[in-house]
Amino acid sequence: MAIFLGLIFGFIVMFVAIPSSAVAGFKFILLGGFRRIGDVFYFATPIIMTGLSVGFAFKMGLFNIGASGQYTMGMFFALYVGFMMDLPGNTHWIVAILAGMLGGMIWGFIPGVFKALLNVNEVITSIMFNYIGMYLVDMLIQTNAIMYEPTKTRTNYLPAEVQIPALGIPGSNVNLGIIFAILIGVILYIILQKTTFGYELKATGYNKYASEYAGMKGKRNIIITMVIAGALSGLGGAFAILAPSAIAGSSMTYEPINIIAQAGFNGIAVALLGNSHPIGTIFAAIFISHIQRGGTLASLVGYKPEIIDVVIAVIIYFSAFAMIMNAALARFVKRLITHKEDDTLTTNVNLEGPIQTSEPHQLNNDEKPDNNTKEAE
Amino acid sequence: MENYIIEMINITKKFPGIIANDNITLQLRRGEIHALLGENGAGKSTLMSVLFGLYQAESGEIRKDGKVVKINNPNDANDLGIGMVHQHFKLVENFTVLENIILGVEPNTAGFIKKKEAREKVLEISEKYGLKVDPDALIEDITVGMQQRVEILKMLYRDNEILIFDEPTAVLTPQEIKELLQIMKGFASEGKSILFITHKLNEIMEVADRCTVLRKGKYIGTVDIKDTTKEELSRMMVGRDITFSVQKKEANPTDVVLSVRNVSVPSVDNKKEVVKNVSFDVRAGEIVCLAGIDGNGQTEFVQALTGLSKISSGTITLCGKDITKASIRERSIAGISHIPEDRHKHGLVLDYKLEENLVLQRYWQPEFQKGGFIKFDAVRKYAERLIDEYDIRSGQGPITITRSMSGGNQQKAIIAREIDKDHELLVAVQPTRGLDVGAIEYIHKQLVARRDAGKAVLLVSLELDEVMDVSDRILVMYEGEIVGELDPKTTTVQELGLYMSGAKRDTVKEINDAGEK
Amino acid sequence: MKKILALTLAIAMVAMSLVGCSAPAKENQSGGNTPSQGSGNAADGFEIALITDKGNIDDKSFNQGSWEGVVAFAEAEGISHQYIKPEEASDAGYLAAIDLAVTGGAKVVVTPGFLFEVPIFEAQNKYPDVKFILLDGAPHSADYSTFETKENVASIMYSEEQSGYLAGYAAVMDGMTKLGFMGGMAVPAVQAFGYGYLQGAEDAAKELGLADGSVEVTYHYTGNFEENDTNKATARTMYQEGTEVIFACGGAVGKSVMSAASEAGAKVIGVDVDQRYDSETVITSATKGLAASVIAVLESIYKTNSWDTFGGKTTYFNAANDGVGLPTTVIGDENADAFDRFEKFTKEQYEEVFSKLADGSIEVKRTIEVADATGYATAQELTNSLGLVKVKVTTR
Repeated sequence: MAIFLGLIFGFIVMFVAIPSSAVAGFKFILLGGFRRIGDVFYFATPIIMTGLSVGFAFKMGLFNIGASGQYTMGMFFALYVGFMMDLPGNTHWIVAILAGMLGGMIWGFIPGVFKALLNVNEVITSIMFNYIGMYLVDMLIQTNAIMYEPTKTRTNYLPAEVQIPALGIPGSNVNLGIIFAILIGVILYIILQKTTFGYELKATGYNKYASEYAGMKGKRNIIITMVIAGALSGLGGAFAILAPSAIAGSSMTYEPINIIAQAGFNGIAVALLGNSHPIGTIFAAIFISHIQRGGTLASLVGYKPEIIDVVIAVIIYFSAFAMIMNAALARFVKRLITHKEDDTLTTNVNLEGPIQTSEPHQLNNDEKPDNNTKEAE
Repeated sequence: MENYIIEMINITKKFPGIIANDNITLQLRRGEIHALLGENGAGKSTLMSVLFGLYQAESGEIRKDGKVVKINNPNDANDLGIGMVHQHFKLVENFTVLENIILGVEPNTAGFIKKKEAREKVLEISEKYGLKVDPDALIEDITVGMQQRVEILKMLYRDNEILIFDEPTAVLTPQEIKELLQIMKGFASEGKSILFITHKLNEIMEVADRCTVLRKGKYIGTVDIKDTTKEELSRMMVGRDITFSVQKKEANPTDVVLSVRNVSVPSVDNKKEVVKNVSFDVRAGEIVCLAGIDGNGQTEFVQALTGLSKISSGTITLCGKDITKASIRERSIAGISHIPEDRHKHGLVLDYKLEENLVLQRYWQPEFQKGGFIKFDAVRKYAERLIDEYDIRSGQGPITITRSMSGGNQQKAIIAREIDKDHELLVAVQPTRGLDVGAIEYIHKQLVARRDAGKAVLLVSLELDEVMDVSDRILVMYEGEIVGELDPKTTTVQELGLYMSGAKRDTVKEINDAGEK
Repeated sequence: MKKILALTLAIAMVAMSLVGCSAPAKENQSGGNTPSQGSGNAADGFEIALITDKGNIDDKSFNQGSWEGVVAFAEAEGISHQYIKPEEASDAGYLAAIDLAVTGGAKVVVTPGFLFEVPIFEAQNKYPDVKFILLDGAPHSADYSTFETKENVASIMYSEEQSGYLAGYAAVMDGMTKLGFMGGMAVPAVQAFGYGYLQGAEDAAKELGLADGSVEVTYHYTGNFEENDTNKATARTMYQEGTEVIFACGGAVGKSVMSAASEAGAKVIGVDVDQRYDSETVITSATKGLAASVIAVLESIYKTNSWDTFGGKTTYFNAANDGVGLPTTVIGDENADAFDRFEKFTKEQYEEVFSKLADGSIEVKRTIEVADATGYATAQELTNSLGLVKVKVTTR
């Protein structure tokens, strides 16, 4: 439903831009991704990871806006292992991935510690660490003659043995990374739903006072959550930078040009669209990638890349926005029907909430939208 | 035709899924004190909100002096001379009393407030009704009782003739309640008409002329107080007979379970001590009540006792084990069960399912988890047992989202969880707050049952009736100190009130002597 | 208030659902005659495609300059054209964009920037029937083992050092003695601009007979091609230290410098394309004829049928073939003087020195040895390698 709304708005934008090509272009956006299924998964991989990272922290009530920094650190650690360590061919890429995870963990750990021990808001710390991470990585790369190629202002090509094995879908660099990403999503789902740690984590996210009352170790859990979130983003960075190249001898490269990685912010949109649910996040990332891949094809019918970007952004954000609005809309419409106006007084009624009996009274008016949100999933 | 100043005729107000007011009629005579009685959720507040213009009724009409009027918002209500003292005061903390009273209706010349004129009027009114308020004191510096008087003055200053009091006594000490009731009588004799919302029968019996009773949104009836009894009123309110005094056997205290020695607790900002050098024991098989007016350190003490906050000095021993430095979890394992003061903030994860909340203290035990994985079958079975045993009612049983449950059933869930868990000491903080008579009766029975099962119970309560009825021993806390130990069988509510308001206190020695007995 | 909001939203929702109903219907209606690919109406195919590199199409640099050439030529000749933004800034991503362009029917693909060297090396074999115009680079394999420019590729390079030389020469001849250089990153093109700038200043100082060390140049790489506060602050500091003009040589860095200059009331020298229209502070621009070179190659394909002159080799655009220089005309006003923002320096002086560059009587060094991995030369390296006497360089 939410996505449907987004698509409609996307179509409107396309129609306004070039009416004659709108239908053909929109068809590309909707269906084009199916022709490029490998690329859909390839480009989904990093945003699945950052989406999981943001969503996982969000379950704990933490807003990990630092996914970008963790992602960048993941890239750097993976690159460092790739360039600077001499390891046997069949383990080199695995070690590089693990190094990327470690890099992200460190960059998640620090805001976690700040939050848990000094009660510094994680948003502030992780935004700062986005910058610190980015400038640090740029500096470390630029001053490393083995990793950096100054005439091209980017890193050298990684050796083939560090690149993650491709899945062999023709015309696409899709690789084992997507398999790992989906597996990790499933593991996270199990952790959240089935384990005591997930139980504590969600309890803390919903109500940190109650979790404290129940004797959960809130500070430890904050740190662990941020470390895991960092690890996820770091893996995302590693998967992205270690991706294989369709061109022999080539590879992904990192450009130290003082720009914060977009993947981290896209992760926020993905997590939002996936409602922070690990499985939902996977589908959200694949959906976004699908729309983007199709969108690229729309340039075949005359759409400028910028217009396509706008359309994609409209689709994604309206979809995410509509999910939030769904709840609000339901509430407003209900209000309209029942002529119910005052918020504060509604709360009063709630406070009074009837006891003993279990008649419809209990359905606190304010809470209803919450149920709707759930439905909207 | 009787002389009604305000009539609400056949008022019906629906919310999605419920009828909050179903064809309710309320007629207020000029110069009477009219009580509006009902359990929580009976529709009292909704009805008053309709009168005050905050809600619009679907059907029915409101008449002032026999003429139909339309009240669309609180301003309309004000224009008709209707004023309301809310349960939660709406005062500006860092304004003076005078400034608060004239807020919104400042007499002025060209924008300059004529404070002198206003002051004279306020002083005159306060003299007339014996309200005794210092117009220049800051709100934040005066007591809750005084703040309430400021609210009352606000109504009088606006020349309101219909005064609505929404549960005005909930926040007051016995002495203050007495004074308030006196003031209300004074208003009535001056010709003001008063609507008095409450569920405290004693107060109704004392001041009201007539009483309208609501139950589950329906109009039950209006009675003359002089022709009725407390029992009759409560039957109208609840729909069945209620036992007012808690039935319990003689207490039989045995070993000391909880021993608190010289405990001090710092305030949140660490600037002062909010609990000062408190020492007492609680034995197995007795209910000890920590009584006191809200804000005298009880909350902080309980938080320190259960491990939610740290103490600055002293020791806490549970069953001979020093738990002064133990974590919350360790204390829980050692045998403390805690029914928290704020069930929404601390007691429950409202977005969790009922079954998940029922294992909130136990999910980590081998019974419910293996290798870090929660055994959902065991959780479900356990939840079903508790729901059955403790009669927790909800829409979908174990998988009900806790938020959608009623307050009473939420509280039952907490009590079931805390009682069913292994414990030696049950700490219950205001366990009946905001609940109706039926639920209160149930909870009191459970507390007594715990005592009789040989557990120690520490009850923290602000309700005098509860303190007197349930406890075996009363410790009164005033400004962070224990100022007296009383025996509910030999003391009176008045004496208890004197201790609570700080007017009377025993020395430490006297308390200790009392404790020795 | 809330009622109104609710109403608006409800209406919006109804409106949306209406649109929702009509959209699929439309699709069905036209579904039959919408070609699945390529053929059919004009919007569906394009003959000339440009792939942008990491910047946007309006980067005031490579993408924009070359796209302007494509547009000017294609519109005049009525040829369909389109630009494509790669999905990923990697060799594979660029190659995928080329794939897409060819799928879209492109016969000529313009790729601005050296980042396309490896992708073009692949593409020239993959699409032998498609012509590629590679600006500022020459195709080579990923490991640099093979440099090969196939018959279907025109590799275009620019003598940035000559353009930079003209800028430095003009500034000093105009009477300025405190100059600044703010390059983006130390890539070959930017380095060449900078080195040329220093040499031009040196020669002008000699010609004016100034004392040794009397021309001071502050030489700086920003490390990025961005418009940001750091770059602006750097420029502001340089102006405060007395710098009269800054040669802003790094894409959007120029915007930061221009904004600092307008605050300080100082001057800027633009780069790549004529930037006088962006700010009053721009006295001139060290241009390379991006558009002109693209047009030249396109003409060889479509008009003069002389692809051979460019295909299969690297062509340098320099003073000799009007590939670089300072702007001599003002767009939209044929009589205007493009040198009006100089105090003394005139078009005549410019043409004199330009002709010397064109005929080879002045030679400008393009590269020097730099020890640092970042490619940032030290003041010492600059002074020694470029033989600077009159010019005193400080790096920042």
